[in-house]
Amino acid sequence: MGLVARVLEAEGISTVTLNMIWVFQRALGMPRVAAIEHPFGRPYGDVGDRQTQAAVLRAALAVASGALTPGHVEHLPFVWHEDPKQTKWHPAEASPIIAHMKRQRGS
Amino acid sequence: MSKQSSPREVDPWRFTGSFLARLLGGQVPEAPTHEAIPWSPLAKPLAECRVALLSTAGLSMRSDERFDMDFERQNPTRGDSSWRALRADATAADIHADHLHIDTGYIERDLNVALPLDRLHELVAAGEVGSAAPTHYSIMGYQGSDASELETRSAPEIASRMRSEEVDLALLAPV
Repeated sequence: MGLVARVLEAEGISTVTLNMIWVFQRALGMPRVAAIEHPFGRPYGDVGDRQTQAAVLRAALAVASGALTPGHVEHLPFVWHEDPKQTKWHPAEASPIIAHMKRQRGS
Repeated sequence: MSKQSSPREVDPWRFTGSFLARLLGGQVPEAPTHEAIPWSPLAKPLAECRVALLSTAGLSMRSDERFDMDFERQNPTRGDSSWRALRADATAADIHADHLHIDTGYIERDLNVALPLDRLHELVAAGEVGSAAPTHYSIMGYQGSDASELETRSAPEIASRMRSEEVDLALLAPV
């Protein structure tokens, strides 16, 4: 994913990458990162939460004009409304790679 | 609704759980591995910019071919490297979401959680953003051990489409 931003930017298109695992994006050399502490699958906000979705979108877009140096990471101030232990984001079945790894660990 | 905190560093592992935190954390290079960071600063105010959104949620229009989940099931260290164009007026009812690493049920109820087209149109109507691009985009974010096709084929094709539609700013959101 981070690679896509680098390709777009090299083609003259400004990019902002909104992401939870911002340490990866930084290591990959993303032009601009908007770091957010939201659960996987819902980076902009929860279902029907128009206010948060709009605020996150607005904040992420602002990073495009506010970042002055390549590799800038902006930490957005949003706090998810549920405790992590109560926040469901995993798929119903483990992904193939996780299932594969667990099989290997068990063998 | 998410509250807003005072300035602080985002905890990248808050929602991963300890297993994934160890797994993913161990894969983050200690030192940057990239070449020079490409840099194309915005040449005009946001209120004059055309914006395109991109999600890694494996979104496809219902009229188009879906992302190939069987490929990943058969090859757990690989993922579908193709991309899809999404209409600017798409809603959750118009799309499939195919991604084996998240619960896609939220996106299927409200597309704006991962691709906030409705919110973007509202910012355009309010004059905060110049325009929404006619086309928005999705890839399927899990590429496993080989992201080369995504980088050398899909990304340049997306860039070409964005340039043809005069996109100034792309907002990418890994899920």
